[in-house]
Amino acid sequence: MKTFVQIGETTHQVEVTERLGELQVLLNGEPCELEYNEADNLGQIILMHGGKSYAMSMEGTPHDISVTLAGYRYDCELEDERERAANLAAKAANKGGGVLKAVMPGVVVELLVAEGDEVTEGQPLLILEAMKMQNEIPAGGDGIVKAIHASAGTAVAAGDKLITLAAKEDA
Amino acid sequence: MFKRILIANRGEIALRVIRTAREMGIECVAVYSEVDARALHTRMAHVAVPLGGKLPSESYLDMNKVIQAAKDTGAEAIHPGYGFLSENAEFARRVVDAGLAWIGPPPSAIETMGDKIISRRAMREAGVPCVPGLVDPVADVEEAVKEAEAIGYPIAIKAAAGGGGKGIRVVREPSEMKSAFRAASGEAVASFGDGRLYLERYLDRPRHIEVQVMFDSHGNGVHFFERECSIQRRHQKLVEEAPSSIIDEETRARMGEVAIQAGKAVGYCGAGTVEFLWSGGEFFFLEMNTRLQVEHPITEMITGVDLVREQLRVAAGEELGYGQDALSINGHSIEVRINAENPFNGFLPSTGTLHNLRAPGGPWVRLDTAMYRGLEVGLQYDPMLGKLIVWGANREQAIERMIRAIQEMNVGGVHTGLPAALQVLEHEAFRKGDIDTHFLESLTITSPEKYEALAAVAAAIYRHKLAKRRALAPADAARTGWTARARGETAAYVKRAGHSTSFS
Repeated sequence: MKTFVQIGETTHQVEVTERLGELQVLLNGEPCELEYNEADNLGQIILMHGGKSYAMSMEGTPHDISVTLAGYRYDCELEDERERAANLAAKAANKGGGVLKAVMPGVVVELLVAEGDEVTEGQPLLILEAMKMQNEIPAGGDGIVKAIHASAGTAVAAGDKLITLAAKEDA
Repeated sequence: MFKRILIANRGEIALRVIRTAREMGIECVAVYSEVDARALHTRMAHVAVPLGGKLPSESYLDMNKVIQAAKDTGAEAIHPGYGFLSENAEFARRVVDAGLAWIGPPPSAIETMGDKIISRRAMREAGVPCVPGLVDPVADVEEAVKEAEAIGYPIAIKAAAGGGGKGIRVVREPSEMKSAFRAASGEAVASFGDGRLYLERYLDRPRHIEVQVMFDSHGNGVHFFERECSIQRRHQKLVEEAPSSIIDEETRARMGEVAIQAGKAVGYCGAGTVEFLWSGGEFFFLEMNTRLQVEHPITEMITGVDLVREQLRVAAGEELGYGQDALSINGHSIEVRINAENPFNGFLPSTGTLHNLRAPGGPWVRLDTAMYRGLEVGLQYDPMLGKLIVWGANREQAIERMIRAIQEMNVGGVHTGLPAALQVLEHEAFRKGDIDTHFLESLTITSPEKYEALAAVAAAIYRHKLAKRRALAPADAARTGWTARARGETAAYVKRAGHSTSFS
């Protein structure tokens, strides 16, 4: 089965097949020699590749797996071909529009954008203070600020609307 | 010495105090909130008293409940740890009024040092160098130019009503003053409705360097040299080291003397930290923290002194019993804070259940933490889960050891700032000691590309195995945590990397 593994900006195509307990892996179409072992059923695995052994910790769901390796961490988003097609279609329909909500309770410290502003993916929209820390909340996609639902200095609960972004075509 | 003390705190610092107290034959009383009923500090203490309540204000910050718990359990003294009530002068006073010993400085010293303006005034009077500048606002541009000459360039123009870096303008020479003054004044009016400005020397590439001091109640005081905490982000420290790589013997001795001077000026007793900003060979008083600091272990590692033991001794009225001559620096120590935060996503807080935990080991590696498998990391408390501390014969060895220890460590279930610390430790500028307080903010935290494809392959295989296991598992079979998670039954794991925001 072909899996699309996205880490940051890069998508890696990994094809995993198992015949009689024997794993065959293609990375971006190229055969990848390796040996895979699970040390326990708690997500500790050992991967042998290129004459080296890599101890990794895995956590997450089939769609979001975080890999910890040598102290670093890789957050992977995984899709199979069917899921990828569905997600791409959904993305095309949405084009950066949507409602930004607070997932944790906090206080809006500063608004960094105004209504009508054009924003790009990753651009900080506001600063939310939670757990005594100030956090920049970035835009999830390109768009235009359609409405701002919170003002600086107000406390927000988890789930409260913060900002509505419109896809560029809609505005 | 006390027979029994109460620790008015939680987490790793409560454990830290309990450990030394146990070694000294002192019994410990822990207090805990509803959320912390299973926390490690309640298990390691001799007695644990429930304070009830979910919010800090209903538990660890409730002075009446804490003092009552001490009285009910026959504790003779209260150790406040750091945070919570540790720098609350009223609490210190009430502890003393209740006939208990306060393991901390006199309430008056907490008060003086707790106020930015009062403390700087007191320090100036005591001859402690402060950032050159004016206490009072300047009237106009002409006055600003005149005063700036006396203070020395570069100058920072700051809004009297401001804070958090807003309304600050840097002026490098007199000719720039006019336009900068106007802009700053306009900005101050717009932001705060108050156009008053004051001037201060602007410190280029400042470094945060602090001196650990300890005083007994008999007028004796020593310092335990400096710690450097320049690797910070929005005043949250991430990597600390002792000694500092920029401080020479002469400056070290001078900073130590000044720190003792600062403590004596406010009648200090117990452990404290005098924070300085260092810039271009000069150092200036910033503030004094009137408590034990998070990063105290690195000082312990290079001096061989247990600072909590010294705190308890002087609080019980004992003399220090040694002078400055008895203290020296041996080797180098580094601490990395383990915060539940996502360094790849703006250091946003990360929550979850610690389903996996692997602690590093080996020589000269110390882990001060209250983490345990199954701990639920929520938003109720500080995101600091623990501290990793190493010692090395020199700075280079300490850096290598810390990298090795971080690579061994695994905290499963939440994101931590460890990858960011790793990136700092591997950075060429850090290794050369070429850092300032803006260093961490200047980095883009990423994991190295060299492992990326490998991680992708492992994740894909892992998903394949999860799916296979799910297909094979009989519906009514006892499920492991993993198959349950694969089915998305544990809500805590369904969070995505950017879990502070969601688009719907």
